[in-house]
Amino acid sequence: MGFKEIVKRFLGYRGTIATATVVKEGEEERRLSGYRFYLDYLIKDRVAAVALAIITLFTAWSIVEGILQYVGFATRHRALGWALLPSNPIALNFAESLKPPSLSHFPAYIFGTNFSGESILSRLLYAAPKDALAAYLVVFSGIIIGMLVGTFAGYFGGWADEVLMRVTDAFLALPGLVLAIALSVLLGAGYNSVLISLILIWWPTYARFFRAQALSLKSRGFVEASKLSGQNSLMIILRHIFPNSVDPVIAYAALDFGNVILTYSTLAFLGIGIQPPYPEWGSMSSNGLPYFPQNWWWAIIPGLVIMTVVVCFTLIGDRMQDLIGGRLTY
Amino acid sequence: MSVLEVRDLVVEYSTVYGVLRAINHLSFEVGEAESVGVVGESGSGKSTLGLSVVRLLPPNARYAGGSIILDGQEVTRMSNSEARRIRGTTAFMIFQDPLNSLNPVKKVSTQLLEAVEMRCKKLGETYDVEKATREVVEKIRDVRIPDPELIMERYPHQLSGGQIQRVIIAMALLMRPKLLIADEPTSALDVTIQAQVLKLMNDLKKEYGMSIMLITHDISVAYNISDRIMVMYAGELVELGSADGVIRSPMHPYAKALIASIPRGVMRDAPLEPIRGSPPNMIHPPSGCRFHPRCPFVMDVCRREEPREVHQDARVVRCYLYG
Amino acid sequence: MQISILIYLVRRVINAVVTLLLLIFLIFVLVHTIAPTPVALARIYCGSPHCPPAELQVIIQQYGLSLPLPVQFAHYVVNIFHGNFGTDTLYKVPELQVIGELLPITLELVITGLIFAVIIGLFTGSIAAANRNNPVDYTVKAVYLVTWSAPVFLVGFILQLFLAYELKLLPPSGLANPTLGNPSPVTGYPYLSVVPQPLQGWLSGLVRAITSPPLIAAAVDGDWRFFVSGLHHLVLPALAIAITSFGVVTRLTRASMIDALDRDYVKLSFMKGLSKNRVVYGTAFRNAVIPIITLIALLFGFSTAGAVVIEDIFQYHGMGYFTVQAIYNLDYIAILAITIVVGISVIAANLVADLLYGWADPRVRLE
Repeated sequence: MGFKEIVKRFLGYRGTIATATVVKEGEEERRLSGYRFYLDYLIKDRVAAVALAIITLFTAWSIVEGILQYVGFATRHRALGWALLPSNPIALNFAESLKPPSLSHFPAYIFGTNFSGESILSRLLYAAPKDALAAYLVVFSGIIIGMLVGTFAGYFGGWADEVLMRVTDAFLALPGLVLAIALSVLLGAGYNSVLISLILIWWPTYARFFRAQALSLKSRGFVEASKLSGQNSLMIILRHIFPNSVDPVIAYAALDFGNVILTYSTLAFLGIGIQPPYPEWGSMSSNGLPYFPQNWWWAIIPGLVIMTVVVCFTLIGDRMQDLIGGRLTY
Repeated sequence: MSVLEVRDLVVEYSTVYGVLRAINHLSFEVGEAESVGVVGESGSGKSTLGLSVVRLLPPNARYAGGSIILDGQEVTRMSNSEARRIRGTTAFMIFQDPLNSLNPVKKVSTQLLEAVEMRCKKLGETYDVEKATREVVEKIRDVRIPDPELIMERYPHQLSGGQIQRVIIAMALLMRPKLLIADEPTSALDVTIQAQVLKLMNDLKKEYGMSIMLITHDISVAYNISDRIMVMYAGELVELGSADGVIRSPMHPYAKALIASIPRGVMRDAPLEPIRGSPPNMIHPPSGCRFHPRCPFVMDVCRREEPREVHQDARVVRCYLYG
Repeated sequence: MQISILIYLVRRVINAVVTLLLLIFLIFVLVHTIAPTPVALARIYCGSPHCPPAELQVIIQQYGLSLPLPVQFAHYVVNIFHGNFGTDTLYKVPELQVIGELLPITLELVITGLIFAVIIGLFTGSIAAANRNNPVDYTVKAVYLVTWSAPVFLVGFILQLFLAYELKLLPPSGLANPTLGNPSPVTGYPYLSVVPQPLQGWLSGLVRAITSPPLIAAAVDGDWRFFVSGLHHLVLPALAIAITSFGVVTRLTRASMIDALDRDYVKLSFMKGLSKNRVVYGTAFRNAVIPIITLIALLFGFSTAGAVVIEDIFQYHGMGYFTVQAIYNLDYIAILAITIVVGISVIAANLVADLLYGWADPRVRLE
């Protein structure tokens, strides 16, 4: 196997595919419906399949661990939160302080320990549900708010559209991170205030996107036809505009989960969000800052974990954008 | 001696779905000061033919056989730098979409002067800006644009489609090529502008005596300015002959159908016959004669074996009905 | 033709001012939604949740927090346009003074980082486009997919670990060698005596602003030891910013190069007999960089945000580092001032990009 083949295998590329049409031998054409089509293609693509597997694992773990933590808090048995973990993520044990990654006490110390002797692996696993929840919640509420606001503004036009464009202009004039910092500091410390500020700043991009879709769809033949046949606007939006504008946004959203995780963990790195002693990927990394570079694992390993998860989301999003064959415009 | 001689040419594209043979064993020639119209529906390989003559095929295409002799030189085996030498001064190609044909960020004058500069470099003439500018002005006037100085100071987006196509023809005149390849030069223009540009090309052909290969899907456009017409179907030559001959007495069923489908002026009762069926799949083409699924005169042999070229006087036709 | 350029300029400037006003309104609305009562607002201005009630009343009086909202908003806008962002709750000096000192340092860092990012991005993007769908293209893609997915702090840590601590090529942190004194900003007064009096103050402010980034100040002062040391300290953080942002440039460059290479004008340039290099890097590239200009303005905002983290890791004492301190000290006034200043910088960057865009693309300029 030559270099070319290896790289091709590694990246799983088969040239550019312009449309979502699968052509089989003998001229039989079939168009798979949205999700089936994506899934079908992504599973065949090795790298994307690995990325998909990692994301599935991350999500599944987050759900299980998240439920355990929630039930633990609700029933005042917090230990339930670390029942599945190699060790208690918030138990101080200074005897094991600052152990480098090793195979002893497998698997608790494979990522080493921090100053308080807590296993970094346990802390990473314990914090995962928070990142997953942030990513899914922020993106989905962004899509929902953006879809409602953007579609109606684009479809009806006029002053509502003008106001929407100006408001989103103002939001997009600021880097998301800076606005998120300002908002969450004003809202006060805590996980919820970070979630609220992320949701507040995340929708304008989607509103712009859905607006553009509505604008181009409303002059298309099938929408004109429904208008002429006397359907009311609400029905047209529900039947035609929404379903047709969601498809391309899925690819962007896949990529966006990664963006949320990056912003969320950067906020955590700056000390905004979940407060000690509870762990959080970004803040774990920043807590290691004073011990850097002697105890490099403390700062670097959480960063690597964030990167792995984000790369997987980016990769899936990128492949999906290739598949639908277009860059998004908004 | 002919300017262009294509012998048994095969061009293939590799695509995601398999190998696509865009040109299949094609032979013809273009004589000096002669104009040949290449006619075919989209996907018939006519544009690929134009690009393969000037060696501008896209990266996924390759010459799979045969030869192209342009002004005595073999094109298919040329290195890139040799190919550069033949482009422009030996053969010049103009493209379909006028709105995309000029560089949007440079003034018309800059782009035309660049052409003169390149020609001078190739022919070993000395390049002098003032002389070149005068030449450019003269050529713009030649393509019937009234205010050359005004046009030269413009950017492409400020010109109309017809004006751009004229500017590009002026560029061709500046390069003084032996062979001009025009790929659908009028398809994107309004009908009235189309007629003007065609008339212009006709005049210039006589004035400058260059050979022209006109690629078009519209057989009436080809008839207007060509001495001979070649009809292509699915990458193969189906009929080649004098323009009058092919138009007045087409031999191949496809050529017949093509001519029958032209709307004839304003005569409302003239029969208008569309060609039945749809263009062939080029990755898995039909067996035998590629036109057989759509042919009204289809015979058994057409399905089995590919027809050979039949030469009758100056006429070439590929069909079992003849020879 | 001249008039249309002028109209273009004026329209862009008006657009920028409107966006700025909207941004201020947005922040005003958000602050007032989070703190709807005068007392809650006063707590924010006080900078501590445990402020004695008497002091709160003083603040309400001082800032006019019980006035009707439209009046408050008018005051707020006027204050901002006068450069009055309030007094820092920690240092007890006007915010403008603090930010005025720190912003040039951050701008210097961000702009250097962006220059790196644009160079890397244009280079890798056009190489990928020229080698479309072959190993070079895939390798470039693999690299940028990873770098743009990496959190800024990870990139900072890894650069520090390898280039500073392992290879000892560059200093790991700080603005410059601390034993060297800071260069003084230049006011240009001695040279300005030829200018009429009323212009002097204004011009000297301009000179001061331009020469305030430490490297430029050092160069103007002729303090070359500081200059070299500052440059050494600048490279790593700027590189960290570049690494996290070049992927976007690469991706867009590749896409727009491919788009340009497929255009008929590129084929026509080949037809003229121009060399491949002249066509690819002259004709196609010239058209492909146009969309990049807008992207750079977007990246400017992104990198300024990234600089907050980078300055924290590299102990680079600019506005980003100040932001981190403000977060820890719950210095709301500082954070709001920084937000507005970043907004102004980004809007200004967008304006510059718009003007450059008009300069680069005749289609925009002459419409």
